[in-house]
Parts: sequence; C-alpha cells; structure tokens
Amino acid sequence: MKVISKSIFYGIITTSFLFSTSAVAKTQISWWNYSNEGSGLNAALTQYIQDGFNSSQDEIELQIIFKEGEYNETTRTALLAGVGPDLVSSSGATYVAKYVEGGFLKSLEGYAEKFGWSDKILPWAYNTGVFRDELYSLPKNYESMLYFYNKTLFEENGWSLPTNLAEYESLAAEIQEQGLYPFAYGSSGWPMTHEHLAGNYLNTVAGPDNVYKAMVGEKEWTDPEFVESLELLKKHMRAGYWSGSLENYYAVGWDDFSAQFQNREAAMLQIGSWGFEIATGLDDKSDDWGWAPLPILTEEGGEPNYQLSVGGTLSINAASKNPDAAAEVLNWILSNKDTIIELTKSRNFGEWLMPLYYEEADFAGDIEPKLRDYLVDFSERTGNGNYGYTTWTYYPPEAGTHIWKDMEVVWAGDISVEEFLGEQQKLWEKARKNNELLPIAAR
Amino acid sequence: MRISENKLRGAVSNHIILMVLALTIILPIMVLVFNSIKPDEEFGINPLGFPEKVRVMNYYDAFVIGNYAQVMMNSLLLVTGTLIMCLTFSSMAAFSLAVLNPNGKATILIGIYLLVGLSIPAQLFILPLFIIWKNLHLNNTFIGLILIYSALNAPFAVFLIRSYMVQLPRELFEAAIVEGASTFQLFTRVALPLSWPVFLTTGLVVSLAVWNEFLFAVTFIHNEEFKPISTILYSFQNRREENYALISAASIMMAAPLAILFILFQRNFIAGLTSGGTKG
Amino acid sequence: MEEWSRSAAPFIVLMKNLSNKEMTSWIFLAPVLFIHLLVVAIPSLSSLALCFTDWNGFGKINFVGFENFLELFDDRVFKKAVTHNLIWTGLFLTVPIALALLAAFLLTGVKRFQMFYRFVFFFPYILASIVNCLIWKYLFHPIHGLAAFFKDIGWESLATSPLTTKETSLYAVAFVDGWHFWGFLVVIYITAMYQVDESLYEAADIEGASKWQTFRYVTFPSIRPMFLFSFLIIIIWSVPAFDYVYILTSGGPAYSSEVVANFMYFEAFRNMNVGYASAVGALMFVYVFTILGFFWTLRKLGWEI
Repeated sequence: MKVISKSIFYGIITTSFLFSTSAVAKTQISWWNYSNEGSGLNAALTQYIQDGFNSSQDEIELQIIFKEGEYNETTRTALLAGVGPDLVSSSGATYVAKYVEGGFLKSLEGYAEKFGWSDKILPWAYNTGVFRDELYSLPKNYESMLYFYNKTLFEENGWSLPTNLAEYESLAAEIQEQGLYPFAYGSSGWPMTHEHLAGNYLNTVAGPDNVYKAMVGEKEWTDPEFVESLELLKKHMRAGYWSGSLENYYAVGWDDFSAQFQNREAAMLQIGSWGFEIATGLDDKSDDWGWAPLPILTEEGGEPNYQLSVGGTLSINAASKNPDAAAEVLNWILSNKDTIIELTKSRNFGEWLMPLYYEEADFAGDIEPKLRDYLVDFSERTGNGNYGYTTWTYYPPEAGTHIWKDMEVVWAGDISVEEFLGEQQKLWEKARKNNELLPIAAR
Repeated sequence: MRISENKLRGAVSNHIILMVLALTIILPIMVLVFNSIKPDEEFGINPLGFPEKVRVMNYYDAFVIGNYAQVMMNSLLLVTGTLIMCLTFSSMAAFSLAVLNPNGKATILIGIYLLVGLSIPAQLFILPLFIIWKNLHLNNTFIGLILIYSALNAPFAVFLIRSYMVQLPRELFEAAIVEGASTFQLFTRVALPLSWPVFLTTGLVVSLAVWNEFLFAVTFIHNEEFKPISTILYSFQNRREENYALISAASIMMAAPLAILFILFQRNFIAGLTSGGTKG
Repeated sequence: MEEWSRSAAPFIVLMKNLSNKEMTSWIFLAPVLFIHLLVVAIPSLSSLALCFTDWNGFGKINFVGFENFLELFDDRVFKKAVTHNLIWTGLFLTVPIALALLAAFLLTGVKRFQMFYRFVFFFPYILASIVNCLIWKYLFHPIHGLAAFFKDIGWESLATSPLTTKETSLYAVAFVDGWHFWGFLVVIYITAMYQVDESLYEAADIEGASKWQTFRYVTFPSIRPMFLFSFLIIIIWSVPAFDYVYILTSGGPAYSSEVVANFMYFEAFRNMNVGYASAVGALMFVYVFTILGFFWTLRKLGWEI
C-alpha cells in the first residue's frame, strides 16, 4: 500500500512538471477564452481561428485555452501575478481600462501603425480601445439593442410597431389583454440584462444627447430627463411588460425567454443584436418575424438611434514573451474577413461580429436577408450620427455595476429613482476624479 | 406482550417519519435522474415526470463532450495526492495534540488557529496566494493544487483525527515507551494502526471536498489537459444556454464514484466519527 | 516573503526555551502549520493589511486610515448583508440541527433499512454545490418547476419562484443549503448516539420513560459535547457562506439575499474595491474572535465544550 501511494506521489510530481516541456520548435502563443462547450463555441473557435491560423504559416503555434466560470476574474488574477496568456480577451472596455491602468497590457499603437489596423476597423469601435491616446484593445464583437417581433402575430391582431410613448403603452396593454407578455425577457443566469433595459430607456426617453452630456460631465444624472426615463422603466417593469411580473422576469433565463418568443407567449423581444439567434428560431415554426430599432419613447417620438457597444475585446499581455507573434495572430484575424464571417455565421452573428468595413459582397451566399438589412441600416444610421450609448461599453466600472445591480433596489421600491441617480452621479464623479472614465468620442 | 406492541407501533411511526424525511431528498434527486435521461425536446412538455422516450445517449454525449475519461483521471490524481499529504500531516498534528502534549497551551492555541482558519472565505486570500504560488512556480501544477487542498482541509481533518486519538488508552503508549519505542515509533506503531477507522471518515470528507472543488481549480489550473471534473459542469451552462439533459447526466456521473465509495465504506465511515471530538 | 522571516525570528527564540518534549510536539505540528500558514494565513494577512488602503487591485496603493470602515458602517448593502448573516446563522442553528437530532434519534431505534436511510440523508452532501443548486433552481422555476404545478392545481400564492421574491429569497437559499447540509449532521449525531451506554437506555425503558423523556434525559446529555461542537462549527461555517447564495441568487433580488462573503466578493472582484473588501474581511475576523472568546469564557466557567 505504501509503495503504491509513494509511486503515485512521485507520479504526480513528475507529471506536474511535464506541462512546460512540450515541443518548442515554434513560437507558442496562448489565448484564454471563455468556455461554452455545450453550444459548440470551443469547437468553432478552435476550427476557424486556432487551426486556421496555424495552417496559414509555420512559425507560430496558437493555442486557445477555454476557461470555465468567471473568466474575467481568472484572467485578472493571472495578470496581477504577471502571468497569463499572450492574448488576453475581456468582456469589454471596463476591464481593458483596469488592465491598462495596472500596466498589464501592451500598447498596440506600433502594430496598428505597421499593419494599418485603423483602416480595417470601424472608427467608433476602434476608439473604444484607445486609452491615453494609445490603442490597447481590438473590438471582437459589436452589438446594439433592437426590437424583434412576431410579424404573423402582429398581422393577425392588426398591431403595428409603436413610434412614440402613447403607442408603445397602448400596444403593450393590447398585448396583455390577449394574455401574452409584451416582451419576452428575463435575468436568470445573467442579471446584467437589467442594464440593457436601463440603457434602452435612457437612450430612448432622455436621448443620446443628454446621456452624452451626463457622461462628459455637462449634465447631472439627477436631472429630470433621466429621472423620467427610469421612472418609466420602473412603471413598465412593475406592469409586467417583461415576462409578466418582476418575480418572473428574475426567474426567466435565456432558454425560457427564447421559448416565450418562439411559442407565442410573448409578442416582442427587446434585446441586443445577439437576439437574431432567437428570432431565427421562429423560422422552424409557421410564424414570420421582423426586427426594428428601438422607438423613441417620448410624446412626439422621433428618429430612432442605435446604441453603440463593443461586447468583447482582444489585447496583448504586457508580460508576453512574444508580443510580435501575438500581434501576427491579431493581424491574421483582422485580415481574414472571410474566416471571421464564417465564424460569426456559425455563432448566428451573436459572437465574433467584428466591426470591420463590410461590403454587401462580403455577405454573398446564404446570409439571412433581415440580418443583412440590419447590418446595412446600422452603419447608415450611426454614420449619420444617430447613435446612443450602451452602459457596458461606456460606463466606468462602479457606475457600470451599480446601474444594473442596484436597479433591483429601485424596482423593489426600497429606494427612489432620485436616490438611485444620486448614487450614480456620485460614482461618476468619483470615477472622473480618479481618471477612470472610458474613452468617449465627441458627438 | 404490551411492550412489544408498543415497540411495534413505535417502529412504525419511526419509519413513517424517516420515510417522509427521506422523500424530501429522494423526490428532488429523482427529478435530476429523470432529466438525465430525457430528450431535449421533452423538457418543455414534461418538466418533472419520467421521460416518455428514454434517451440514455445523454450520458454518452456528456461523457464525450466533457472529456470525462481525462477529467476523472485528473480529479482522481488530485484526490489521491491530497489524501496522502493531508492525512499524513493532519495525523501527525493530531498525534501531537492528542498524545504528545494534550494539555499544553499549544493545543488550545492551535485549536483556535485552525477554527479561525475554517472561517476565512476563499475570496479573501486567493489573490495573494496566486502571487505566492507564481513565485514558487506552483501555478498550473497538480502538486500546487494538492498543497492548497491539503491546507484547506487540514483543520477539519486535524479535529476529527485528534478526537479519535484522544480516546486511545494511554496505557498502550506507556507500554510501548517501556519497550523503548521512540516518539516516531509511538506514532507509526501505536497511534496510526489503532486509529484507522477515523482515516476512512476523514478520507471520505476530504475526498468529497476535493472532488467537488471548483474555484481554486479554475484559478490555478490553466492547461486543458489538467482540468479536474468540477470544471466540466460549468462548461455545460452559461448565459446563453442551460442544457439540462447534459448537465443532469454530467452531475450524476460526477456524483457516482463518491456515492459508491460511501456505500462501500458506510459502516466504517460512521465508526470513525466519535463524540470525543470536543473534549480537552 | 518578508513577513515570513520576520515572524520566524521570535519563533526561534521560543524554541530555545522549550523543553525537549514540547519541542517534539511542535515538530509533529510543523507540517500542517507550515502549509496552512503558507496557503491561508500569510495570504489572508497580506490581504487584510490592505484594509487601510484604497487599492483597486491594479493601480497605486494609498493609505486612507479608517475611511473604509467609516464607509462600511454607512453602507446600506453591508448592513443588510450582516443582518442576513445573523439570520442565516440562526436558521442553521435551529432547523437542520433539530431535524438531524430527530432523524438520528429515530435511526438508532430502527434496525431495518437503517443503512438505506443513512445513505439517503447523506446523499445531497455528496453532490457538488452547483448540482444541488441546479436541482432546486429547476424545481423552483415558475414556468416548468413546482410553481407551474401549483398554479395548475390553483395554488396561486405558490406560483412564483421563492428565489426571486424579495421576501423569501434568503430563506429559499438557506433551505437549499440546509437541504444539502443536514444529512452531515445526522451522521455526526448518530455516531455520538451509538456511544451512549446501552444500560442507560435499559434503565430508562424499565422506568417506563417516554421517547421524549429518553431523548431528553439519556440521549441528549450523552451527546452534548458533539452537539456543542456542531453548534460552534455551524457558527464558524456561517461566516464565509457563499456558494449557494452566489449560484442561486447572487444576493438578489434587490440585495434581499445578500450575505457578507458575497458582498466582499463583489467588491473585490467586480467593483475592484480591494481595500474596501479587505475591511469587510477584517470585520469578519473580529466577529469570529468574539465568538471564540465567548465559547472560551463558557469553558472557563466550567462548561464542557
């Protein structure tokens, strides 16, 4: 017994040192990504990016490692200790800002110049990676908030899409009379959905101009427009617009609200552009679907806007021993638009929709026409200056968590909207004082 | 006659209460088992009942996607390593506290120290620990994780083993001393052989903790090949998707080895726990 | 590593004054102490040292004195979390203990199926926390869980998930954790009960004692040390309670199930207020030492603990 356990013990010691000694002929580049085995993300990334890149040349070997659980935290812990992967992915600018502050990321300015990255990436998205006048992260995915609706259901009932607040509320009432939910949605497993709704109301009630002013400090968050926006959201939330009741909204997760939308339990879905994945699920049923930008929720309505968002970034670890090779990987990704389109298509355009300069011709073949319409409309409208701001791309860290986490307290009635916005204002002032604001390009 | 009738009635009421308590556990577990053999499409229409179409392939899918052969092996290595290190060190400490110096100040101080150790949340020390581990080159190694698990489980192990050793008759040790045994021999020849039941108990508790541990595993292991079993469950669920069928099958596969272990050692498991634990 | 050499110096002085016997006893303690100091104590202390700073986990470390503590005493969420921890401890000191005592006492009285019951009661303890949470999240789900079932038979009041209703969320989480934990207590108690002297039961039987009387006057006094031990360990374990809260509700809705460890986690890892989180950790230590001091006093007063 003792001999056996001893040999196992030595076995453990030897195997534990084995990992670092695999063949080192090529330059090894590691990359940590969040894991989603169940939906096939790991396989897709391995196939399109890892294998694609590795077979394109024979000097660098890329390995993508998938981290379960809260991968931002695992990454942060590793960066703090001066280790971690060569390529660092994060959930957005909030994390990048912190990493830059800690000096954990390598400036990409030189590579951007050398490879001409600014000509490949849409300017607004490029700018979300610029900190202290230098580029530190590349946008991996861009998103915006949209409406999806069950077109067949709308036609049957003679409903039309709302264009102002009064129409919005009367439509919701009509839908509820039919015993349906106006919107399918819920926060179980991802409570950050609260900030989607908060952002929607801030950008469609107070409007992007006011949001911009508050972000740059020309207005206060406690101003009446913002109070009005969140009061309206609270009223609608309590009226059961999303999944019938506040309690159900908290209990419903992705699978559930997908089913609600696909099975005619809800007439609409107010979600990010990643919702195309859910909407296309209707194709298997007899119902047709449509999408639209969010209507302006004021008396008179107005021209809709798209909220800008970068939902994922790529950077190079300052501790990387081979930053040049890592940059080669990044450049390969940016230069292989076709591969990226294939990849994002395999993810139903919910992930890896890189904000590159796409042309109609890039989407030849079997792309869903509604999705193409959206991509074209998005660049047109935002090009005309009709854009708003998502909280997770433009809010500093503490204000960014407060906006969704403490929103529950407002909905529960424990604090008033004014108190809530007062706390927001304080957190923004603190961030401004500590120089923690994220890059916001002038309007 | 009357007594036995009373006893019979007592036994029946005992069983009724016990059965009710058992059902509060069996019923929820049954839903898990049903879900593990349910086809995906059936979840919407038949959430709680037995599946109309049994799909055992869920287990196969979970086994393949989760790379179970590999992760189970890794977890087994972690458990074995932790058992060896943790039980060796803990039994030495317990021997010291229970036999060598049972009434010393140290016993009380160490007792308090270990109790306080039990109350510290991992979130408080995981970050500095990671930095220390990096400097010692223990990151991403099994031995590094085994050291952590041994330390985390040591307090409870010391308590359990000590409580057993305290009850060993002192005469045995005195006899051995008369025969010229060294302190080390007292430990290996007297204390250890006599307290084997408690090692089964402690071993099971430690194995459970290591097998199910997630936070340290995901923080300290970065290579795909080294991932332990607990990380796999997390890769089946995320924001976008909760694949109940696969997760349920994966959960059951994860619990099965431990359940079997418990059934095998159940009698000894109980024997190892003693009430002396808190004396002295 | 510097703390290490500094703390070692007085230790060496101490060693010189120790008798040979004490020396040996320390040698046997050394391995456990070494790894525990290395893995838990030193990192914890270096973390706690940050409680007087405003470190955000990345940038410069500034000393801020007692500011974090002042802010904490004013933090509505922290106050809620502390209250919830106390409720949590109270719940665990009553419900699982009572159930486990009942089950263990009844179990010692039955011969058939005893092993079966024991296995069943212990089973949830074998499962990883994420699995237990998965089961109950599923059962509590308003659309496909028990709630839907209750709705169908007309019990509207039970038709929402207790996890997402702010009045019940804390209790629902505690229920799931308790459901998984109480079987462990059964095992501990039953072991203690088996060591009760048989003759005491026989005497009670002859005197015609009822079941309750047997329990009250024979069983309970005999297992008192184990009972008090479980009492202490529950209080200690309630301090870092985290898993179940984090997985089931993340402290929500509206902080109605927030506990201290989850609050600390969130401040340190999401809001990146590492200094602030360390202050929470420091207060946890104060609390634990108070509890231990209390038990210590009881011991001094002659209680057998």
